Amino acid sequence: MDRRDHRGTAGVHPGPTPAPVPYADAERVNQDVLDLARLQFALTAGGHFLFVALTLGLATVVAVLQTRATLGRNPLHARMVRFWGQLYVINCAVGIVTGLVMEFQFGMAWSGLTHEAGNVLGASLAVETVVAFFVESTFLGLWIFGWHRLNRWAHLAAIWIVVLTAYLSAYWILVSNGFLNHPVGHRSGDGGLVLDDPVAVLTNPSALLAFGHVLAGALLTAGFFMAGVSAYHLFRRSPEWEFFGRSLRIGVFLSAPALMAAAVFGGLQLGALATFQPMKSAVFSGKAAETARLQAEMTERFGPGDYVPSEAWTRGGGLVMLICFALMMYLCFAGVILACFKTAVFRFRLWHAVLMAAVPLPYLAMISGWVFREAGRQPWVVYGLLKTEDAVSDLSPGAMRLSLTVFTTLFVLLAVLNARLLTRHARRGPVDSGLGHDERPATGDGPGGAPDPADALPAPRY
Amino acid sequence: METLAIALLAFFTAGWFVLAGADVGTGMLVPWLGRNDRERRLVLASFAPFFLGNEVWLVAAAGAFVGCFPALEGDLLSGQFPVFVALLTGWVVRDTGLWSRGRGAGPRRRAGCDAAVVCGSWTVALSWGWLLAALLTGRPYAPATGPTAVLAALAVAALFAAHGLGFAVLRLTGPPYERARRLVGRTGHPWQSFALTGVLLAGLPLWAGTALPLAGRAADPATLALLVPALLVVTPLLVAVQAWTWYAFRHRVTRPSYL
Repeated sequence: MDRRDHRGTAGVHPGPTPAPVPYADAERVNQDVLDLARLQFALTAGGHFLFVALTLGLATVVAVLQTRATLGRNPLHARMVRFWGQLYVINCAVGIVTGLVMEFQFGMAWSGLTHEAGNVLGASLAVETVVAFFVESTFLGLWIFGWHRLNRWAHLAAIWIVVLTAYLSAYWILVSNGFLNHPVGHRSGDGGLVLDDPVAVLTNPSALLAFGHVLAGALLTAGFFMAGVSAYHLFRRSPEWEFFGRSLRIGVFLSAPALMAAAVFGGLQLGALATFQPMKSAVFSGKAAETARLQAEMTERFGPGDYVPSEAWTRGGGLVMLICFALMMYLCFAGVILACFKTAVFRFRLWHAVLMAAVPLPYLAMISGWVFREAGRQPWVVYGLLKTEDAVSDLSPGAMRLSLTVFTTLFVLLAVLNARLLTRHARRGPVDSGLGHDERPATGDGPGGAPDPADALPAPRY
Repeated sequence: METLAIALLAFFTAGWFVLAGADVGTGMLVPWLGRNDRERRLVLASFAPFFLGNEVWLVAAAGAFVGCFPALEGDLLSGQFPVFVALLTGWVVRDTGLWSRGRGAGPRRRAGCDAAVVCGSWTVALSWGWLLAALLTGRPYAPATGPTAVLAALAVAALFAAHGLGFAVLRLTGPPYERARRLVGRTGHPWQSFALTGVLLAGLPLWAGTALPLAGRAADPATLALLVPALLVVTPLLVAVQAWTWYAFRHRVTRPSYL
């Protein structure tokens, strides 16, 4: 049966209510298209997720810093807002553009998912875009371009709205993802799943626990990032020792509780797995007998098929995440003690070097945890309801290969660009250019557009 | 509910065409309006505070589409797969150029960013023309081909460019303003050209949208009953905040901004 049955033949509008084809017995999809579409989704979602991790965490830090700067009028705080805010904006921009690809990808490559689960999944994606992301972008624009134009309280409100809507965005995305991992609050209607109990969908434990875990992970990423960047400047004996000493402390004292929170939510999720996705749990713990028993049980329930996810990805992802956790725990434990001593903060260069080297750790933990979550639930896209192979769009392998090449190239370039810009601006330290630069007085830029002079950031305004 | 859902989708889509159409169009014309690095940066500054708020209209339209008409969204997006790959590529390249321009060092890097903005803007406009060609010829589930597609793409791109030109006349100062003014012509109020292209750009997607069987393919009533009121409550607030942004940055630009 061809999936184009839905669409009518070219030139003829499909009837008003075409009877949807049950995807379970749709035609055997081309294995190439499935593999390419999965690879594309994994690369684009993984890439997007990494940018978002730092964005979410750093936005929170910037908002808190700006609150202190606005309340206390301490020039040092104001400069910290601009410096960390600049790094936040660079990273956030890449997060936004990669997110665009993500939003359209559901319909483009996974139209079976919108057919079958669109009544539940589509709604949470829609709320995410309009209620969360739309508000976030609008206020982010106001915040970036509103320095020196908005009243300082309005400017402070703008960053807080950005932070809260960013959290909201993460929540709605995880409601969608939680439904895929642990579908609740639905019933089967004619032509796919129907929303039955919205409260159950919104309070899905698989979504709430993941939300807590991701949020804590984001703060952890930001904490390690701040500590690492500050350590670089302290290692180099920067004249900005007070600025980076404080920043390093913020980073360290943020990482420790964030790591604990991430561990608690992670533990709760692992506990819930035994009931939500026993197969993933069995594969992760390497229980061969249990895996075989579940395979037999699922074959009986859903028909013949391979219901065991890739052991390499599932176990590998989970183990890498746990190893990163252990390393970060030692670092956080030592860090909290060391950060209490001024001499250590300013002079202990070995610690500085370790902190710089540790910046990738939370990223690695985030991505491997995500691989564990997503690879471990295969072959299902909606657990127990829709298989991944039945959700992929009816595309030609050539089209899929082209889009995979284009988007992978773009994402790699974006990642490289992001890393270079972040490194460049992080190394440059707090200088008076970029975010919050007062454009009002005539600048000394020649007609050729000489680069902004990297003179020290004037304190009183931000 | 279904009618309201269609109205929301139409509102977000038309909103994107009118608002983002202006910055996409101006982006297309950067090499003609700005002859050196500083002038080009000024041209980008004309829409800098708005482009982020503008582009989310399309994100919102896609969100409303997948929420209110999920199965149809899947059919349209997978049917028009190559068109959306082109559209997204243009969009990503354009945004990357915009965001990195002010951050990069050296004239060559900035010229590269300008090229990304221009190529990206053209790609976005041409892709929309390609998509609209398929919708207007009544074949929404396969990319348009042949001379129709080429002509429609060029015509729509020209409309975007004209809209951007009208916007540039209203926002710019100095030599770039003079160039834009010369192209628009000195007769009439500068608002007139912008308003005309705005009306055309708003009408275009609505006309094309009639090719989609929206009425029969809305989401389940239980979903719409929750989703549509939620979107309806938030939308006026969003429009108000965006209007405030436009008001706050209403003055013509005289110097570069953050981008």
